[in-house]
Amino acid sequence: MIGERSLVLVLLELALLVLLGPLVTGTIQKLKARLQSRQGAGLLQPYRDLAKLFRKGTVQADTTSGFFRSIPVLVLAATMAAGALVPVIRAGPPAVPLGDALMLLGLLALARFLTSVGALDAGGAFGGMGASREMTIAPLVEPVLMMVVFSAAVVAGTTELGALAAHRGTSWILGWHAADFLGFAAMLVLLPAETGRIPVDNPDTHLELTMLHEGMLLEHSGPGLGCMVLASHTRQIVTLGLVSALFFPAAVAGAGAVSLLLGAGAFAVKILVLAVYLALVESSYAKLRLFRVPLYLGIGFVCALTALALRIL
Amino acid sequence: MSAETVQTVIDNLGALLLFTMILIVAAGQIYRAIYAVAAQSFLIAVAGGVLATATGNVDLWVIAGITLTVKAIVLPWVLHWVVRRMNVRREIEPVIPDAATLALAVVVVVLSFHLSASLGPVRQAITGNALPVGISLTLSGVLVMATRKTALTQMVGLFASENGIFFTAMAVTQGMPLIIEIGVILDVILAALVMAIMVLRVRSTVDADIADLEELRG
Repeated sequence: MIGERSLVLVLLELALLVLLGPLVTGTIQKLKARLQSRQGAGLLQPYRDLAKLFRKGTVQADTTSGFFRSIPVLVLAATMAAGALVPVIRAGPPAVPLGDALMLLGLLALARFLTSVGALDAGGAFGGMGASREMTIAPLVEPVLMMVVFSAAVVAGTTELGALAAHRGTSWILGWHAADFLGFAAMLVLLPAETGRIPVDNPDTHLELTMLHEGMLLEHSGPGLGCMVLASHTRQIVTLGLVSALFFPAAVAGAGAVSLLLGAGAFAVKILVLAVYLALVESSYAKLRLFRVPLYLGIGFVCALTALALRIL
Repeated sequence: MSAETVQTVIDNLGALLLFTMILIVAAGQIYRAIYAVAAQSFLIAVAGGVLATATGNVDLWVIAGITLTVKAIVLPWVLHWVVRRMNVRREIEPVIPDAATLALAVVVVVLSFHLSASLGPVRQAITGNALPVGISLTLSGVLVMATRKTALTQMVGLFASENGIFFTAMAVTQGMPLIIEIGVILDVILAALVMAIMVLRVRSTVDADIADLEELRG
């Protein structure tokens, strides 16, 4: 396999993902505010929040172990490593072997695991509650994500995301097979769960008992909380990038600066479309009761399973 | 249109039909089930249009038009009207848990694909995945009818089941005689009207539901 994306390009894409992550959150929040007839904070508010958090000092509970301090850094590192596997500007396998889609899902799962361990370590009731719920939801989401990846990978014969994207080519809408529709439907069902949004989780509050992800961040403060927040921004854009790599990649050929800019622009448009989708879903649905969540995710599971069945049978 | 294009389009429509069926099976509110079944009938009409263009069969155009007006617009509207008249919000009331119904639906879909794969030469003669998709729609519709207590949801199941039969018939025969299709449509309309009137009457005179009828003693 010939590498088509040099290491420099991969690093550039990674930097782009991490830098644009907060902007996606800002866009979704702004859209939600407009849909609720509010003015809302500016698009750059997440950046300001991050800057504020990184300037602050750290306070932590007496009960925490030494491991607690390193958790935010580890979570951020795992999420960023997952980001390196997503083809952003150009499709095609990277020049250096980095890992495939399963590695990406594994890294995201690792980040999730570390977050829960941190929440349990602090010993707070809310953290423990959030962690236990996150661990209830995660096993329902991850296998379905894997099945969606498999249903795309069966055709391409590889699980490497760049190669998958390249296999689909630029004329993706014409080349969509029946299974792709179902896989994409499954992905649309799972996206709110994976990015921690309504109807599965509520990202705006950590005061309700319904919270999942926000509850686990309660014990963190200062730069540590900044790392955790940045990691969740990155996780969101990585998930959106995974969807676009699987279902509508831009395989712009050629090396020049123009094609790179074109690829970056196409990526921005795709992420924007998915962000609008998330904002619409968040504004038009209520948060589900925790016991209803498995059924909701079950729709995604059935869609993914049917997609896989269509591919294999 | 070439045969391959038609096959791809029918395959894609089949996937979307399966998706609407999953939505119907998983719907927690009757409104969503009605919208999903309307979308399903719309897709069937589109499939009819595609097959009509491919085969040049004028009857198929007529059938697609009737499907669009009757099954995608009028019947969902009637259901909607009945739901509003009865003033009920969440009346899906499954007999077995929703998750179990979904699991059964998966079994139905996978089995129908598996079984039609074993048909061999018969399968080859049919456009794309129309046969397994049609079978799974029909059986899932029956599943919905069997696992819901209220008459309205059972009606949705009946429509979905009927859609499945219609889709298979269109794809297998490249257009049945017009008179048969119209007869089938009339049957469905009649069934819908009878059920709608009966549901309203039963509700207004004795305030009972279909499930309560089991406790009747002769």
